[in-house]
Amino acid sequence: MSIEFFLDGKAVSAEPGQTIMDAAKANGIVIPGLCGDPRISKTTSCFVCVVKDKKTGKFLPSCSARPAPGQEIEVTTPEVLDMRRTALELLLSEHTGDCEAPCTIACPAHAQVEEYVRLIANGEFEKGLAVIKERIPMPMSVGRVSPRFCEKQCRRNIDGKPVAINEFKRLAADLCYDSFMEEIPADCGKKVAVVGGGPAGLAAAYYLRLQGVAVTVFDAQDDFGGMTRYGIPEYRLPKAILSKEVAHFAQMGIELVPGKKLGENLDLAELKAAYDAVVIAIGCWKASGLRCEGEELATPGIEFLHSVAVNNNTGKNPGRTLVIGGGNTAMDCVRTSVRLGSSDVTCIYRRTEAEMPAEKIEIAEAKEEGVKFQFLTAPVKLEKRGTKLILTCLKMELGEPDASGRRKPVAVPGSEFEIEADTVISAIGQGTDAPAGVPVDRYGNLAVKAENTTRVEDKIYAAGDCAYGARTVVEALASGRLAALEIAEDILNKAMPAENSIFISRGSWQEMSQDEVVVLRNDLSSEPRVELKFIPLEERKNSFKEVCATITPEEAASEGKRCIECSCSDKSDCKLRKFADEAGCRKNAYAGERQLASYDLRHPDIVQDRGKCIKCTVCVKVCKEVVNQSLLSLQKRGFQANIGTAFNQGLPLSCKDCGACIESCPTGALDWRKKR
Amino acid sequence: MQEEFSFLSKIGQEPGNLIKGLQAIQAAYGYVSDDAIRAAAEYFGRPEADVEGVISFYAQFKRVKPGKFKIAVCDGTACHLKGAPLIHTWINQELGINPGETSEDGLFSLETVACLGCCSLAPVMSVNGKVHAKLDRRTMMKILKEYAAK
Amino acid sequence: MISPDIKQIKIGLVSCGIAAGGEAVYEKLVAAAGNIPVIKVGCLGHCYAEPLVEAVLNDGSSIFYGNVPGKDEAIENILSLGEAGRFSVPEKRREKECVKVLAFAGRIDPTSFEDYVSGGGYDGLKKALTMPPEAVIEEVKISGLRGRGGGGFSTGMKWSFLAAKDSAEKVIVCNADEGDPGAFMDRSLMESVPHQVLEGMLIAAYATCAAKLIIYCRAEYPMAIANLNIAIDQIKANKLNIIDGREIDIYIKEGAGAFVCGEETALIASLEGQRGMPRFRPPFPTDSGYMGKPTMINNVETFGNIPLILREGGAEFAKVGTEGGRGTKIFALAGDLEYPGLVEVPMGTTISEIVFDIGGADPEKVKAVQTGGPSGGCIPKAMFDTPVDYDSLRSLGAIMGSGGMIVIGNDRCMVETARYFLDFTHRESCGKCTFCRVGTTRMFEILERIVAGKGKVEDLDTLEELGSKVKAGSLCGLGQTAPNPVLATLRYYRDEYLEHVNEKSCRAAQCNALVDIVLDQSKCVKCKLCIKSCPVEAVSADFIIDPDKCTRCNSCVDICPKHAIARIPKGENK
Repeated sequence: MSIEFFLDGKAVSAEPGQTIMDAAKANGIVIPGLCGDPRISKTTSCFVCVVKDKKTGKFLPSCSARPAPGQEIEVTTPEVLDMRRTALELLLSEHTGDCEAPCTIACPAHAQVEEYVRLIANGEFEKGLAVIKERIPMPMSVGRVSPRFCEKQCRRNIDGKPVAINEFKRLAADLCYDSFMEEIPADCGKKVAVVGGGPAGLAAAYYLRLQGVAVTVFDAQDDFGGMTRYGIPEYRLPKAILSKEVAHFAQMGIELVPGKKLGENLDLAELKAAYDAVVIAIGCWKASGLRCEGEELATPGIEFLHSVAVNNNTGKNPGRTLVIGGGNTAMDCVRTSVRLGSSDVTCIYRRTEAEMPAEKIEIAEAKEEGVKFQFLTAPVKLEKRGTKLILTCLKMELGEPDASGRRKPVAVPGSEFEIEADTVISAIGQGTDAPAGVPVDRYGNLAVKAENTTRVEDKIYAAGDCAYGARTVVEALASGRLAALEIAEDILNKAMPAENSIFISRGSWQEMSQDEVVVLRNDLSSEPRVELKFIPLEERKNSFKEVCATITPEEAASEGKRCIECSCSDKSDCKLRKFADEAGCRKNAYAGERQLASYDLRHPDIVQDRGKCIKCTVCVKVCKEVVNQSLLSLQKRGFQANIGTAFNQGLPLSCKDCGACIESCPTGALDWRKKR
Repeated sequence: MQEEFSFLSKIGQEPGNLIKGLQAIQAAYGYVSDDAIRAAAEYFGRPEADVEGVISFYAQFKRVKPGKFKIAVCDGTACHLKGAPLIHTWINQELGINPGETSEDGLFSLETVACLGCCSLAPVMSVNGKVHAKLDRRTMMKILKEYAAK
Repeated sequence: MISPDIKQIKIGLVSCGIAAGGEAVYEKLVAAAGNIPVIKVGCLGHCYAEPLVEAVLNDGSSIFYGNVPGKDEAIENILSLGEAGRFSVPEKRREKECVKVLAFAGRIDPTSFEDYVSGGGYDGLKKALTMPPEAVIEEVKISGLRGRGGGGFSTGMKWSFLAAKDSAEKVIVCNADEGDPGAFMDRSLMESVPHQVLEGMLIAAYATCAAKLIIYCRAEYPMAIANLNIAIDQIKANKLNIIDGREIDIYIKEGAGAFVCGEETALIASLEGQRGMPRFRPPFPTDSGYMGKPTMINNVETFGNIPLILREGGAEFAKVGTEGGRGTKIFALAGDLEYPGLVEVPMGTTISEIVFDIGGADPEKVKAVQTGGPSGGCIPKAMFDTPVDYDSLRSLGAIMGSGGMIVIGNDRCMVETARYFLDFTHRESCGKCTFCRVGTTRMFEILERIVAGKGKVEDLDTLEELGSKVKAGSLCGLGQTAPNPVLATLRYYRDEYLEHVNEKSCRAAQCNALVDIVLDQSKCVKCKLCIKSCPVEAVSADFIIDPDKCTRCNSCVDICPKHAIARIPKGENK
């Protein structure tokens, strides 16, 4: 005789012996739970499956409680969801591990670094490229110009140099760019206009196209790529390579319309009327002035780079050149000046080299190419004397740290001195030239509604530099992707993927000791990082040829073995992470002691990690009740409880042939060591 | 069954008597050794991992051989307030052991107990059952030295 | 000179008497008393007066001597019925207490079957055996007896559930795993009158047709186990374990040290030789308990009440007490009061009667009382008019618990008190369910931060939120009650918490991190005892205490003959 009761007010019936969870499932309501397995007796441990008995006000573990006739069970009320979230947050508070590897967390696009490195090292270039393009749709460009956020967080930094991650992108993209084509779904009937054909705009177009949206990208310039084309010099990113990527977008059916500038020959209101959504991704093209007398005599850095780019990488020798600024644009300007024939190029920066925002590698390469640096120097006046420009500077010294954490330069009184030059380039920053009719924030960027969104107002989205100020290509790509996902949510009613919101991490290598780094693979290489092959220095200085070559597949195969593969072996099917994501758990909601991460790697094929264990004891019961072995037991009690073996002798070799406990573990506390 | 655990045969062999068996072992040897676990597991028909699970659950069972002198530091309310944590620090400095451990020379073992019932004399500890009261660092060191010399 | 009026001498020699040095007194008494029998008896509840000696006179009256030192003069004084050291029950206590369950305690030799029987022992069982089993259960129902272990479930109802089971292998368990720090009612009853508990169990076995009686007793109670075993042997020798021609199996199983085993399902797991982890109910033990058999679990004191109910009848029993609880209740009084010990009072006696009249606590110096040990809550002095019964206490956020009552003086910090209890419970959590295993640990860590002066105001909200969730989301009683001391102190003493987090100050000068030790130079006589006693050389040669070196161990405060050194809340020395 079945039992009639209520789930969230809906009358349902349960078979005798059925638990509330089973009955709910039979009625299409899935209650999450971590500690159950149909083959074993109840563990009633995780309490993620709590529901509430409305009449008694009691919370019940639905995995174990059986419904009573007429009982009113609440499954999805805010109160129940809150209890569920708390149970998960408490479990997360004792859980250690790496839901994603630190490189993936560091990557602004959160690309699956470990996976593509492994695929490419194994020679599966096209698969690797597919993984990369899930997050980075311009891998040839990023593979050349990225400041390598990922490598800075690579745990190989502890014992040497990071894995040359970016070179993997470049290799896979260079090898199979032409052969690789995404599957484009049928048109969904929606259309989106993207204003600005730089990386942000192109990424937005790319991910919208992958949803079957018809996309038109407008750009003010004659060709596409934005700052990657007109701001990044040829020697770092050859235009031909960029053009290949642009052509690929066109092949995907993205319409590219050049020569259209918002406010000139493109009207925002009309776009809004004609399209389902408009993405503004116009970049930061307004150069900041030197903020000193005579600043108009200086050439803005982006204009300088733009003119070289449009003139096919030619230009007149700038003669004695002063470039003011310490960022990557300043480095592009000094190195371009060298290539235009100047033998006397100086970078002037008001702080010291340590504070320079430019990439260390760029600074080093500039130095190799003969660029001089004058630190702790700030311009106060620029004037023309005859054919020469005279820059008056002040000596600076470093004072207290400012808001950015860097020590603030303070002028040394009476330290003025003059420098004579033929060309003065100012590269101290860029801003957004916001179109009329769009709200802007206090920095002059387009005002998005909140952090981590691209929504500006109805139908209008802002992505890339124009939304947050000048940053890198990979950040622009991530921003463009976010715009595409948000538009898909808004116009296609597609839920945003709850991806990557939970980042349980063992921490960054700077805070770790070598002992804390967990290595599951047996074949970790101790070879040094792959050396990049540069063209001869003279050739570098005299031409715009790309300075270094793509690594070879053989080099990638060997470099790939240097990857520790930090991420959790179970990340793709960890139930704790999945449910925590779905429940919207807060990170570190209940901070506190964790059991010391004690990896047991004694078994050649199986890893046991107490730090990840949530003590659900499913493994213990599976081994005892299903496998009939009883090799595992719950030991100690309270917070110190953990799963162990007799005499702490570890699992026997024969466990390799069973693995039942591994398959039943809801987290990665018991897992195969070898990752697939 | 090994000779040294033959007394188990006085206890009924049903699995539910495991704790009773372990109590007998603990009473005889002061701790439950790996060999004792093997013997108990075999005698009561319980997996060894299971036996370890049971032992580690209950406060009564010790897995390390106690020292010749068993120090029990009281951490009842009164002693706690009067500095029982400090006593642990002193013992650790002097003997290098934490609660649940035995010194390398096998002379001393240390454990924390809930209350020795001598609250008016706090802080107290007992060594092999003899209570030493109103401890301070100096008397503490003196006591340890005296035992070590025995 | 031995007084000829003395018939016999009794000395309380169970755990408390022994701890107070009673054995030495006993030996001297035996040596000096000549022909006068010296009898070891149980506990009268006057722990503050141990060792306690009773000289029984030929006319049947008695003279008591309290705090008897193990010295010859003291023994001579007793034997000559001297005036010195005489003890009498404080007047107010005599008025308020109601000794029924403990009537035998301290008056008979616990190991003597005859003593128990001659005082009326086993009359209850005899009477029960003349009644149909259902009538026995009915009598227990009429008595209104509710479980004395803390839950307060109707004992008669519980019995009827087991009686209704059709099984020849029913099990009755006596829960003697008294684990609350500060509670020793059950120990005292088992040590002093083991037969009374066993009689209750035998009556239950008859009423419910049970085949097996198990006493699950803490191993830390060796004397209770010894006395019970003696009593069990005596029962068997007198064939009292043969009921209706059935031989009832009766034995003790010793616990191995786990507080959570006070929980029914955990206790059963432990009896079965497993880790003492609770499981979800249903099935309830009466359906599937020890080894899958129908099982009923009652607490020691509950069984102790049963012979009384049968002897005098349920209706008579129910005349004592209130709507919220019938009969008497034994409390273990401890903490900041004059007369720590055991006392039996009618249900419904107010807290103030127990604490002030019986316990002799100074109303000016008392802040609160903690009932129910680590599972209970504190009740502030303003609410001491509350009658003590199951329902009234629950309405205050406290619980009756098993009967521990800890008096908290004004100079105790309530935050530290909460931390202390949670330290106990979080370590005793079995580790099975998330809310208890992790939740209590996180709460404990927050409290540790607060007493260390590192707390934040938001921590108080987190404690309240998490505390109520741990109560709601834990599998068993341990987790469901563990937050009580925290929630109750937050409710009644939030200002103390706020002082800790906002002003980094502990008004009770108890939390070491929030306390300074200061030396009043005007009182100092430069005896240097403080310098000598300091373990960390924090007191300088000119008697200034270095607050950075000082560990707040209190050695100097205690040793100073002039009370010139004091603990004061940090910041008050300005």
